Amino acid sequence: TSAILCQSQSCLNDNPPSRMECPTCNKLGIRGSFFCGQDCFKAGWKTHKLIHELAKNPSSSTNVGKSSDSYNPFPNFSFAGTIRPLYPLSPRRTVPDHIPRPDYATTGTPFSELRETGPPRILNSEEIEKMRTACRLSREVLDIAASHVRPGITTDELDEIVHNATIERNAYPSTMNYRGYPKSVCTSINEVICHGIPDQRILQEGDIVNIALSFLSQGYHGDVNATYPVGKIDEDSQRLIRTTRESLDAAIKICKPGALIRDLGKTIEPIARANGCAVVRTYTGHGIHELFHCSPNIPHYAKNKAVGTMKTGMIFTIEPMLNLGTNWSEIHWPDNWTATTVDGKRSAQFEETLLITETGVEILTAGR
Amino acid sequence: MDSEADDDIPELISAEPDEQSSSDKNPIAKRVPLTIICGFLGAGKSTLLRRILTERHGYRIAVIMNEFGDTADIEAKSITVDGESTTLELANGCLCCSIKDSGAAAIESLMRKQGAFDHILLEATGLADPGPIAGMFWHNEEYIDARSIGSENGIVLDGVVCVVDAVFGLKQMEEDHADKEEGPGESLRQIAGSDVIILNKVDLVQSSILSATELAIKHVNPVAPVYRTVRAELNLGHILGIQAYSIGQRHLSALKDQHELQHDHDHDHDHNHDHEQGNNLSSSVVPHYVTRGISSLQVSLPPLSATQFAAFDAWIRTILWENRLLDSVDCLASTPDSQSKKSPLQGNINVLRCKGLLILTSGEQHVLQGVRNMYEIIPVDESMKSEFPHAGKVVLIGKGLGEDVRHSLLSAVG
Repeated sequence: TSAILCQSQSCLNDNPPSRMECPTCNKLGIRGSFFCGQDCFKAGWKTHKLIHELAKNPSSSTNVGKSSDSYNPFPNFSFAGTIRPLYPLSPRRTVPDHIPRPDYATTGTPFSELRETGPPRILNSEEIEKMRTACRLSREVLDIAASHVRPGITTDELDEIVHNATIERNAYPSTMNYRGYPKSVCTSINEVICHGIPDQRILQEGDIVNIALSFLSQGYHGDVNATYPVGKIDEDSQRLIRTTRESLDAAIKICKPGALIRDLGKTIEPIARANGCAVVRTYTGHGIHELFHCSPNIPHYAKNKAVGTMKTGMIFTIEPMLNLGTNWSEIHWPDNWTATTVDGKRSAQFEETLLITETGVEILTAGR
Repeated sequence: MDSEADDDIPELISAEPDEQSSSDKNPIAKRVPLTIICGFLGAGKSTLLRRILTERHGYRIAVIMNEFGDTADIEAKSITVDGESTTLELANGCLCCSIKDSGAAAIESLMRKQGAFDHILLEATGLADPGPIAGMFWHNEEYIDARSIGSENGIVLDGVVCVVDAVFGLKQMEEDHADKEEGPGESLRQIAGSDVIILNKVDLVQSSILSATELAIKHVNPVAPVYRTVRAELNLGHILGIQAYSIGQRHLSALKDQHELQHDHDHDHDHNHDHEQGNNLSSSVVPHYVTRGISSLQVSLPPLSATQFAAFDAWIRTILWENRLLDSVDCLASTPDSQSKKSPLQGNINVLRCKGLLILTSGEQHVLQGVRNMYEIIPVDESMKSEFPHAGKVVLIGKGLGEDVRHSLLSAVG
C-alpha cells in the first residue's frame, strides 16, 4: 500500500508520508485522514473538522422536511446511512368508535398474543373467508398508498392516506398502538430495513420506500408490504428490489401441505446471495389470523431450525428483507422501532399473506 | 448542535499498519460460550460458581442469576463481571416480529459496550426446566455469522450443567417421578436437559446410595457424564468448554457405550465403579417409577441409505414437532378436529432432548442435536469423523418413550 501524505493544506513539513490519524475520522469510518503531527493537525483544524460535520450531517438536501421547523430528534446518534428522522410526528390519528378495536388498542400490550400457546391454528372455511376479505382490502389500501408515491410527498402524508382508506373500509389499522407503535403504516426508506415511522421527511427522487400495512377487519388481520421506487432509481436499487421480489415468489412456489417451513429460507437465501444481497435474520414471517403475530415462525435465511410442517388451513406471512452487500445485521434508532442496516447500504422488502390449500397455496394479499 | 469546538481538538492516534480493506475496521467477532447451571436446591450450585470464579480468575466471566424463570424477564437482572454488578437492560429497539430472545439480546448489548466476556454462566435457581432457555440460546446462534462484516460477539450455548445432591437427590427424583398433572417434576427435567451432571456431597453418603442415585440418573439421561464430587471440586474442563450443542469430538464421544464412558471419567475422589450396573441398564431391576416419569431410549441404527436417511428426518421431526409417531397414514390435510388424533397405543409422548450419530452407506456421518421441538442434523466434517462407530445411534430423553417408539423408528428407517 502506498504511503499516505499529511492531509493538512497548510503543512509546514512539506506533506510527508504520515501515520498519525484523526481519531474522529477513524470513529466515523473516514479513511486516510493522516497528519504528520499534532501541531500540523491543530493548524488545519478549522478546515478539517468540516469533514466530520459533513459525515455526521449529510447534505441538507438529503433530508428535507415539509415544514420549516422540522428537526432531527436524535442529533447525537451514529446513523449508519444518510436518512434521518424528521420530527415532529403528526398527532395520533383517531379511529372512529364504531370500528372494533384489537386488545392492544388502549394499552399497547397484545395480551391475546402473549397468552397464545400450542401449534399453529388451522382455520375453518368461515374464518378463511374473513381472512380473504381482510387481505384483499389490505392490498387495496396498499395500492392506493403506492399510487401516491412520488418525489415531494412526505411519509406522514402516506400515513394519512393509509389511515383514511383503512377506516373508510370500517377496519382498524393493525399497527396503530401495537406495542406502542404510533402510526397506521410503516414507511422504510433506503437503508431502513423495516418499521420506519412516518414523519416530515419528503421523499426524494432516487429513494426507495417500503410501505408496510396491516389491516384488521371482522376480527382478522391482513398483512402486506412492498418496496417502491421514487422516480428514477439507480441500478443497484433496481437489482435489490427485483431480487427481493424474486426470492419471495420462489418461496411461495414451494408452499403446499407437507412442505417444511425451514425450507423457505433455503429457497430465499441462495437467490439473495447470487445477486449480491444479504438476508436479514432477526425479523421473520409469522402466523396471522385473529392475532397479528403468532406461530409459526418463518425465518428467511437458509440454515435454520424452524419448527413446523405446512398444513391445509394454515395461514402465515413470508416477508423477506434483503440488504445490498453481505451484512445482514441491523441497528435500531433511539425511537425503539426503526431498524437500519449497519453499513448504510439499502434494504428492500416484500410481503404476502398466504393460505395453504389442499393442493398448494393461495396468496390472500395478491394484487389483481 | 453538536459541532466541535475550535479548542476541542482531539489528539492524533497511531494509525493501524494494516490498511488492506476498510471493512477490516471491525474486530473479528468472538463466540462467547454460555453455560446454564441448574440443579437441586442446596446441592451446591453456589459452591460450584465460586469455584469457577476463583479458579478461572483472570478470565472475564459474567454471572447472571436467573431467579424468575425465563430470560424474557431478564431486564431487571443483574450481571456480575469481576465482582462488579451491572443491570441488564432490554436491548435498544423494539423486537416485535423479531424473535431474537430479549435475554440474549440484552447480554449482547452489554458486550458491545463492555467488550466480550470469556464465558457466561447463567445460574438458574428455581428453574424447573433448563430446556426452554437452552433452546432459546441455541436458537439465538442463528444470528451469529462470523463471516458477516459488522457482526458482534455472539453467544454460543456451551452446555447445561446439573448439580445433584447425593444426600437427598434420590428421594427428590422418586417424588418427582410420581404421576402429576403437569408431568414429571423439576429434578427429572433438569437431569433430562443437562449435558453433564455433578453428583455432589458424595462424602456424606454411603456407596450403595451413590450407586442407586447414579443409576436413577442414568435411566433418565444415559448420555450425560456423571462426576462424583466433594464440595463441587472437579476438573473444570469437564463442565466448561464442552461444546455440547456443537458437533465436536466431545459430542461424538458422548454417544459411546456406557462402559467406555465410565472409564473416561476423571474422578477427583476415590471410589469403586459398579461395572455390572453400568453395563446392564436394561437388564437390572428397573425402578417402577421410571415408566411413569422421564426415561430414555437408545436405538442403534445400521448404516442408512439416502432414502432411509430422509425417512429418519421425517420420523424425528414428527415426534419432535407433533409429539406423535409417524404412522403409515400421515395427516397432511388435517381438519381442525384432527389435530389431537393420536394412536390409542401412544401415551403422552414428549421428547425433551435428543442426540444422535447417523452413519450413511455413502460413508457420510451426520450428527443429530435437539432440545424440545428444535433440532438439526448436520454433516460431520471429514476431519472430525469418528473412526470407531460402525453403527449409528440415537438417544431420546423424555416422557412416553416406550418400546413402541423404538419399533416405530426401526420400521420407519427399515
